[in-house]
Amino acid sequence: MPNQIKFDEKMRKAIVQCSRCSFCRAVCPIFDLTKRPIANASGKMILLKELMEGKLPLTESVAQAFLRCTTCMNCTTNCPSGVDPQEMVKSMRKDMVGAGFNNLFKAMGETIEKYGNIYGETERHDWGRKKEKAPYTLFLGCVGTYREEESVQETLRLLDILKVDYTMVDEVCCSGVLEDVGYSIKEDLARRNIIEIQKTGAKTLITTCPYCYRVFKEHPSYKDLGLEVKHITQFLKDFDFKVKTDKKVTYHDPCDLGRHAGIYDEPREIIRKIAPNFVEPRRTRENAMCCGAGGGFRGAFAKESVRIARNRLSQIIEDTGAEILLTECPSCLHNFRNAKRQKQKIEIYNLTEFLAKLYQEKTSPAKEAA
Amino acid sequence: MIKKLVEIVGQDNFTDQLEELVPYSYDASMNVYRPDAAVWPESTEQVLAIVKFANENKIPVIPRGAGTSLSGGVVPIKGGIIIDLSKMNKILEVSIENRYAHVQAGVVCDDLNRELARHGFIFPPDPASSSVATIGGNVATNAGGIKGAKYGTTRDYVLGLQVVLPTGELMRTGSYTMKCVSGYDLAKLFVGAEGTLGVITEVTLKINPLPRYAMTAVATYARLEDAGKAIFQTMTSGVIPSVMEIMDKVTLKSIRENTDIALPDAEAMILTETDGFTWEEVEAQMEVVLGILKNNHPVEIKTARDEKDRLNLWKARKSAYATLARVSSSFVLDDVTVPISRIPELLVGIQGISQNYGIVVATFGHAGDGNLHPQILYNEYDPDQVERTHKVEKEIFHLAISLNGTLSGEHGIGISKANYMTLEHDPVEMDLMRRIKKTLDPNNIMNPGKRALD
Ligand code: SF4
Ligand code: SF4
Repeated sequence: MPNQIKFDEKMRKAIVQCSRCSFCRAVCPIFDLTKRPIANASGKMILLKELMEGKLPLTESVAQAFLRCTTCMNCTTNCPSGVDPQEMVKSMRKDMVGAGFNNLFKAMGETIEKYGNIYGETERHDWGRKKEKAPYTLFLGCVGTYREEESVQETLRLLDILKVDYTMVDEVCCSGVLEDVGYSIKEDLARRNIIEIQKTGAKTLITTCPYCYRVFKEHPSYKDLGLEVKHITQFLKDFDFKVKTDKKVTYHDPCDLGRHAGIYDEPREIIRKIAPNFVEPRRTRENAMCCGAGGGFRGAFAKESVRIARNRLSQIIEDTGAEILLTECPSCLHNFRNAKRQKQKIEIYNLTEFLAKLYQEKTSPAKEAA
Repeated sequence: MIKKLVEIVGQDNFTDQLEELVPYSYDASMNVYRPDAAVWPESTEQVLAIVKFANENKIPVIPRGAGTSLSGGVVPIKGGIIIDLSKMNKILEVSIENRYAHVQAGVVCDDLNRELARHGFIFPPDPASSSVATIGGNVATNAGGIKGAKYGTTRDYVLGLQVVLPTGELMRTGSYTMKCVSGYDLAKLFVGAEGTLGVITEVTLKINPLPRYAMTAVATYARLEDAGKAIFQTMTSGVIPSVMEIMDKVTLKSIRENTDIALPDAEAMILTETDGFTWEEVEAQMEVVLGILKNNHPVEIKTARDEKDRLNLWKARKSAYATLARVSSSFVLDDVTVPISRIPELLVGIQGISQNYGIVVATFGHAGDGNLHPQILYNEYDPDQVERTHKVEKEIFHLAISLNGTLSGEHGIGISKANYMTLEHDPVEMDLMRRIKKTLDPNNIMNPGKRALD
């Protein structure tokens, strides 16, 4: 049986550092749903401890346990002992693959390799926004491109309204997600993206997806990109918007944008300009609960993922009574829209999409009333 | 066994998968033992059926909440079935007019308090783990917390319980009233029993109005005796502060060196708070406390009344546990408690023991009720340090008992302190405890192997 787990210095330190206080139970979306200690960060740290000490044999079902994590990082933020369990989970997923346990993301890697996107889509929507040269390049990512097209359409419209001189490229999956699920980034795809982006002569790369943002910003495979990388909320924060809403608005921090990238204030600065009636959910910013989509969890456990989104959504509605829920992440948006029940009146948008809608209402109010 | 348990709780609420049982082999102590199965019952009827079955077949059952115990209390030393009550987490009734809340055992403390806060009420015991700890676990360990001196511990709030007895009967005991002397106080027998007498499934709790205002002060002392005097003079002044915490110099040093919190190099720091219904009341109390703090030669005193300043003063105390947990990989966190005036002796004694064995012990805790937390820092993979740590612990227990104290103020005995039970309790008392246990649980199925009862 394969049992070649490395347990490097970092891993060993984290394992002994976990004091099993279980404080992470309060914040783990999967524990919240299942009430099973194995789903929680503390449970995973205990499995690692026993694996390290040779008390627990590495079996298929042990390997499986490490797939149950959205890498939302809420445990990390709330761990009094300074442990980063999701980092250990990610590193373990890699070790497991190295030890011969292929997981269900192997197929995803192959799909990405073959089609250049996570869904195996063969045709890419032509947004009609491709130019030769522009100072800004916009990168959408797979989820927006293939699963939230209407939302993307609105985001593009907003950039047009704001007269941003941008172009799009023949993008392929940034493929960073493979690093989180046990595999490695696809170097050739990264190179293709870099070449396409550089061709535009742009100085700034704007991403709508917070995950792509992180990959471009942090992953060594993109170190030669040579462009300033901005998430779209960072890019838009200093714009003047000539629209407003009186509706009660709230905001969900995407884990990849908030805890992982530290971008909390920019979206709020934009929201404050357009929505005086803004309320924060109880669990917000560093403590925002995960929507359940991240870390490959949605791909692997779709049903549970939507149930997590349902919990988060109900909680937000209960806390805030908001009419509009904003976020700025195609994955969160997609998961929330799937989770929303018909009787729930709340409307869910990406912030940029909502802005475009406000502009539209302003120019054709009659339409809105109809 | 598998078939029967699955029949009772359903396939989804049962496991005997090794990897799922591994996390159930632990709590926050160093004890490790495997259970044979775990179940997540969703109703009292299911718990009843499980216990009945276990009793007939003499299989140990271990009720478990969030598993934050620091004593091995929920670690299945004799194997058996873990009954995880996390899914029984409904707040059944909040009766403001009658001042009680009736909840299932798996309700998380903070969830209850969030609900109560909407009505301006609170269940005061606030263990550090309140964000995850369950009410059932609070009751089973008689959890206390920072506000014990003024607001008592869980015991003071338990009005009634629903308990599944080891013999497979369902009992409702206690009342829904503020007073009750009808029969033996059986409800209190189960408070702090660490699941050795039955499975608590529902709890009726007295609730308090939420104090509206609070004022905070921090004082540092160059001499431990001065700090000690300040504490017991305050506690006997007629004012009972809602908070009276102490941190020793090892704790202060660790916080100073490992965080950006600026702290003076002192022997001890006291953090205190007065609370009440009006500002006048809060201020008048604080005036008395400040007078005493000042009289005992402090190095420095700071006060705060608005939320931001208060949080600032709380920062050091709140970070104590986390800082120590980060400084050292492994630690034992104890909870010896002594009469209030003996606190300086306990602190000095612990420092002496620590030096004798070359093991770092940082102490902080709830000085207002004499409950201190020596956090013994060591490396669990160094056998020599492990041995010295055991010796340090043993000496601390002996010291506490010699000061008329107790082994445990709020964590419980579990496995870790079971060997020291006879140090505190004479043979007559031990014998009576064992007889009570045997009467209720003739087959010794309820959380066996704990607190030297079998
Ligand atoms: S919060 Fe941190 S130390 Fe506590 S159990 Fe979770 S990972 Fe371990
Ligand atoms: S990263 Fe999120 S999902 Fe994963 S263990 Fe931590 S809290 Fe749970």
